[in-house]
Amino acid sequence: MIFNECMMKNSIRSIAKTLCTAFCALALASCGVSKVVIEGSYPSPNVAKLPLSLAVVYDEPLRNFSYIEYSETGAEEFNIASGASHVALFDAVLPAMFLSVVEAASLEEAEALGVDAIFVPAIDEFQLALPNKTKLDVYEVWIRYNMRLVSGDGAPIADWVLTSYGKTPTESLRTADAAINDAAVVALRDLASSFSLSFAQVPEVRDWLASR
Amino acid sequence: MKALMPLLVVLLASCTSTTVDEFRQGETGINSDESIVILGRRHSSDYETRAEFVDCVGERMTTGNDSISVIPEKEFVDAMFPWFEPRTAPLRTQDLERLMAEPVVADKIAQFGVRYMVWLDGFTETSGRTGTISCTVGPGGAGCFGFGSWEDDSTFDARVWDIASLQNVGTISTDATGQSYLPALVIPIPLIARVEANACVRLADQLKQFVNGE
Repeated sequence: MIFNECMMKNSIRSIAKTLCTAFCALALASCGVSKVVIEGSYPSPNVAKLPLSLAVVYDEPLRNFSYIEYSETGAEEFNIASGASHVALFDAVLPAMFLSVVEAASLEEAEALGVDAIFVPAIDEFQLALPNKTKLDVYEVWIRYNMRLVSGDGAPIADWVLTSYGKTPTESLRTADAAINDAAVVALRDLASSFSLSFAQVPEVRDWLASR
Repeated sequence: MKALMPLLVVLLASCTSTTVDEFRQGETGINSDESIVILGRRHSSDYETRAEFVDCVGERMTTGNDSISVIPEKEFVDAMFPWFEPRTAPLRTQDLERLMAEPVVADKIAQFGVRYMVWLDGFTETSGRTGTISCTVGPGGAGCFGFGSWEDDSTFDARVWDIASLQNVGTISTDATGQSYLPALVIPIPLIARVEANACVRLADQLKQFVNGE
């Protein structure tokens, strides 16, 4: 009888220990940073092609770009990785805008390709607005870019700023991660639309195109 | 239980009231080889027309008598990229006229066979949340007790643009309101007013008649 009681106590202790471990793991997981890798599909723009050969350089900061959103207590809340998605976006957009597009690992490598121009996109700033902070029923993403165009031999042509914005409404049964992804994809599409439609209107680019 | 179902359906249906207004500004009619495209407005800062509502109206218009060929929103917007994004989409018929001057846009729209472009703009708002429900779990079981209710209000406008004349030929507005209840006596029993679904059905039916010129 004493043996049985002892066995029962051990078994209860074991279950309690397992439950405690599971609860602690769950609590720690819910407190940790949520990693969001932006994924989306980007259509090719329907615009007239410019008769130019272009080399594009995606530098390391762009390829590995990620933004960390902190909670009000200063803890990391979301880690948003959008570098790969930006590269996918430019890979879809640039071939529709230019006669030929090649990718180069560096500016030096691009200069050796003998192209008409070299394009170097960069992300200057990334902002995220969450409903629990703004008290609005939307997730918002705002991105500022620095676009740089240099000639085939490395001489500067244009250096301009482009902003993009995307939002998505809050919905029940949709996670914050999914909503952030959707808002970022809208922002990336906004970038693609404004970049493809305004590229030839940038004053320095327009002057350079006219001089060719 | 089967005998209770019609009563339940009537009870649920009676929780929603829908009003539809039509304002016609031009003649309409559509041939069997022509299509329409329904697009949601997403340029406002504090709300956007839900893609699910746009799909709901489109699906309803493709069924039943006098069904109309509707091009799915995403397919159209992707094919027309970047001309129908939130920042670049035409807000007025004059903007559409300028857009149609772009050969690439005019060609694509002709390929789709689009005769009418319908812009849906609106949202569903929930207000008047009242009541409380508390749930408890104990060794003997679990249960919820209490009562909650809220009101949903769906307001949507559909502006119909004729691609042939590049004119706004009419506007259909729908406003649906409904009260939802959630009584809980051990088990919560949701009595949800299908406000947005009713707005979708009534708007789609009216839109179908409008486009067919009835």
